[in-house]
Amino acid sequence: MKRVYSILLAVLLVAAAATLLWSRYDYAYQDRDAILTPSTAQHAAGTDELGRDRMVRVAAALVIGFAGSAAAAAVTIMIAAGFGLLAAFSSKTLAAILLFVSDVFLSVPWLFLLMMARSLLPLTASPLVTAVTTFLVLAALGWPACSRAIYRGAVELRNAEWMIHAHACGLMTRQRICLQLVPHLRPLLLPQFLICVPAFVVAEANLGALGLGVGEPMPSWGAMLLELDNSALLARSHWVYLPIALLVLVLLLLESFTSEMETHA
Amino acid sequence: MLCAAAGTILLVRCAPGFFSDDREMDAKYAMAAQAEISAQSESQGSIVRIAMREVESWAKGDFGESRQYGVPVAGLVGARMSTSATLLMRGILCGWLFAIVAALPISCLRKGGSLLGLPFTILLSVPTAAMATACILADAGGPVLVLSLLIAAREFKFLRSLLEGAWRSSHLLQGRAQGLTAWALVRLHILPNAAPQLRTLATLSIVTALGALVPIEVIFNVPGVGQLAWSAVMNRDLPVLVAVSLLMASVVGLAGMLSSSEFTLEAA
Amino acid sequence: MRRVLRLPLVLMFMSVALMAQLALSALCQSVPRRTGDLVWAIHYDPKTFDPAKVDEQASELVRYLTGGVLLRINRQTQQLEPQLAESFHISPDGTLIVFHLRKGLRFSDGSALTSADVAWSLRRVLAPETGSVVAEEFLAPQQVTVDAPDALTVRVHLPKRITEVGKIFDEIAIEPANRPSEGRITSGPFTVADYKRGQYLLLNRNPNYWRRDSAGVQLPYASGIRLDILNNNEQEIAAFLRGEYDLVDSLSPDSFGILMQKSPQSAHDLGASLNTEQLWFNQSAVAALPDYERAWFQNQGFRVAVSETIHRADLARIAYDGHATPAYDYISPANKIWHNDKLKYSQESVSDANRLLSASGFHRSGNQLYDAAGHAVKFSILTNAGNPARQKIATLLQQDLAAIGMQVTIVTLDFPALIERLMHKQDYEACLLGLSNVEIDPSAMMNTWLSSSPNHQWNPSEKTPATEWEAEIDRQMLLQASSPAQNIRKAAVDRVQQIVADQQPFIYLVYPNVLEAASPQLRGVQPAILSPRLAWNIESIHPREGGAR
Repeated sequence: MKRVYSILLAVLLVAAAATLLWSRYDYAYQDRDAILTPSTAQHAAGTDELGRDRMVRVAAALVIGFAGSAAAAAVTIMIAAGFGLLAAFSSKTLAAILLFVSDVFLSVPWLFLLMMARSLLPLTASPLVTAVTTFLVLAALGWPACSRAIYRGAVELRNAEWMIHAHACGLMTRQRICLQLVPHLRPLLLPQFLICVPAFVVAEANLGALGLGVGEPMPSWGAMLLELDNSALLARSHWVYLPIALLVLVLLLLESFTSEMETHA
Repeated sequence: MLCAAAGTILLVRCAPGFFSDDREMDAKYAMAAQAEISAQSESQGSIVRIAMREVESWAKGDFGESRQYGVPVAGLVGARMSTSATLLMRGILCGWLFAIVAALPISCLRKGGSLLGLPFTILLSVPTAAMATACILADAGGPVLVLSLLIAAREFKFLRSLLEGAWRSSHLLQGRAQGLTAWALVRLHILPNAAPQLRTLATLSIVTALGALVPIEVIFNVPGVGQLAWSAVMNRDLPVLVAVSLLMASVVGLAGMLSSSEFTLEAA
Repeated sequence: MRRVLRLPLVLMFMSVALMAQLALSALCQSVPRRTGDLVWAIHYDPKTFDPAKVDEQASELVRYLTGGVLLRINRQTQQLEPQLAESFHISPDGTLIVFHLRKGLRFSDGSALTSADVAWSLRRVLAPETGSVVAEEFLAPQQVTVDAPDALTVRVHLPKRITEVGKIFDEIAIEPANRPSEGRITSGPFTVADYKRGQYLLLNRNPNYWRRDSAGVQLPYASGIRLDILNNNEQEIAAFLRGEYDLVDSLSPDSFGILMQKSPQSAHDLGASLNTEQLWFNQSAVAALPDYERAWFQNQGFRVAVSETIHRADLARIAYDGHATPAYDYISPANKIWHNDKLKYSQESVSDANRLLSASGFHRSGNQLYDAAGHAVKFSILTNAGNPARQKIATLLQQDLAAIGMQVTIVTLDFPALIERLMHKQDYEACLLGLSNVEIDPSAMMNTWLSSSPNHQWNPSEKTPATEWEAEIDRQMLLQASSPAQNIRKAAVDRVQQIVADQQPFIYLVYPNVLEAASPQLRGVQPAILSPRLAWNIESIHPREGGAR
């Protein structure tokens, strides 16, 4: 079943890429005589408020958004895991310092750092550059929320019998962490990853207010999700639900895939 | 807390727009706004001076005056704390109740757990603003419901994962083979063994709730600390932001301390 | 078996019940509506209730609702009308204004309102230590003197004539002498009663208001006003449809569409407003731009070509859902007195634009435009976040300008960061913003057109005009500000409009329409283009009878 889920996910992404590559419409092309049209022969999923083909834009948003948010989520989990494990296997003083740093990180309004990041980018930076910058910044700032949970989990597990046994067998700390401990932390790491992906998708759209995020005319998955807060738009087109349906499908597939990994672990 | 305050002062002061005023774009009020900004710029001084001035006034119990409202920050924040605290408490309690009630039965299923957890996956995907619009359109629900659902969606993932792992442990298989009911296993083995991690998650959900507080209070127009913080960000109101950071640091520190306290429990 | 199921079942029942209770609970705790009140929302807290220190729109609204004034501009007819002053007279040389007060005027606390109070209020506004923005409109406030020869007469001595001086008195609220009360003791229709920051402002009816209707009934009809502080469009519209709000000011096109479907008799589209949406290029000599870019933006042919490429009808139709009018001029056609009907402007034509660009030394290679030195024409357009219509305009402009080979990047910033780039650093290439024009008279726009002004957006604070046409604009604007003759003023303003149409320092795009909503249960609402659009005749609006719809 694990293979089935991974194939389904791959098929979805390949279908999106294929739609993007072989559609007759560019994602930026505005058909101004076809504003918010329903499904037609020319536009299978209708058009958006600027007459752009929704199918192509959703496909592009899926590819860009999934790649960016999944990569950012993976990086943030790795940083959180590294931080938590370092604190768990350090002396009490160092652990206290590291946890203190994590708490300070959570308290400080990093929004202003994002504003400064935008002001450092040239105004003519392409939408792709700002998108990559956005996801990098999200990855760099998202780790404190789960680092303490990972630290606690690691502290609980480091004195487990099998860890002591591994130590007695001569495994070095690094080996014990990578081969023994990290797999046992999966119940913490995988849900955090699944939470970070949609959170980063939406956060990217919210950062559009600061000049970051995916810039027009490149499609933004998060911006499409934010259309759900516009009641006027919801009343005029049902295709606005397509991006969220796809996000739920992607998360379901990811979740099923990861829980299969758990079952077989 | 000092580090949080110092970090806030540094970030806010260096961020673009600190000495800007909306009124500069209005030809009618532009000159008055520019005169005010020049005066402020001269009196503020460097970041070090600002920081020293802030610390001096905190020592006297004075958190300064809000840049946008011109009233003492302590009064401004204090008046809103109970609203936010109530919202947080209700949201966290309800969120955990929903998450536990859903996670317990779903985690013991061998198949179909992902599908049954679909509502929580949907909740994770829907932006807060969209949830708020749904409440407004349906003329039902409010900030507590949205916060509870957000927390429930997040905690459900962790709980389900933890509980699934617990169900697969060998001593539980032994217990099931010996005829113990599912509820007895949960009550006597799973919950006690998962208690430390659950406690950590519970205290850390305070941090999650704090993060969700700002969009919820802004969208639902709840007069709490989150709404004040957002307004302070948009207006670069440094004294308010420093006070809010100190508050955040206290809460996060307390949550961290609670999650760190030693706990041992022997399985029944 | 039943025992072990009891607790989980109880937990499940509790959580379902709790969820239902949360779902059915009130959306937000608002103050109960008082009978006879008019209720609507404002988007942010007023910064002050002191009428002399008003410097933003929310405070201005409170001053309008509470402050009694000597003269008032009728927002519909746009004519000055006497208020506390029964009559007024301006001397032929324009340096003396004499006001004659009505008899029997009282403040809301019952104390008599005399010329001493008027003189005190005027002097307070003029005093430098008050820091009143209105004082600047007197041009040399420290040279203005006020005296009160008797209890009903006030004389204002001006150092020189001020064009349309009467309108200034629309913004000066008369307060009790030596007893400033921040709106709690007023001579206007309402007084400030209660205020909770971030939540609401309550105004009570002034029992001693001087005005009566034609049947002799004392005004205002409403017993009070509640202004909710609410910055959420969806909530505001939902509350209006539920009958909790009586008015909605400045609807977005989307919200207007919803109201037209659900409550068409409450929605009003008054046509083009006085406001404009425009694009401009940074022509400042001190801007940190490469010289070749500055050369593009300073080139008239470049700017006119951009203007000719833009499909303004599409902007109005798509970004504003048809609730906007294509704009070519800084004075909206809604401003019937000053709009130049005979304005000559370039029509939309991509081929003309291409010809202009070729003539200006640009050439195309494939889909990209290059200047004479081979630099690809790429620039950014800066705009503010939080305005969906403007963001749509920016995206539409991207496609329009791509048709002539220009590559445009859109950058949205929050307002403080945007202002810093525009006003302090001039660190931008092009900007897309709107201008709110609250007054009809072109003198109100002096700060935009005078080349020495910091609000002369495309090239602020010039020591001397950088071009001959900017010098000509300076001359004409100063002429219209100082001339007493209406025909001379009109000719000067027409000339400025033509220069702007020829040179395109601002490329005007659309005039957004005035979109308002008023409960059909109210009587006496007469929406106007000038602000406050729905509440300008607040004392004559009858609140709804009974409860909600």
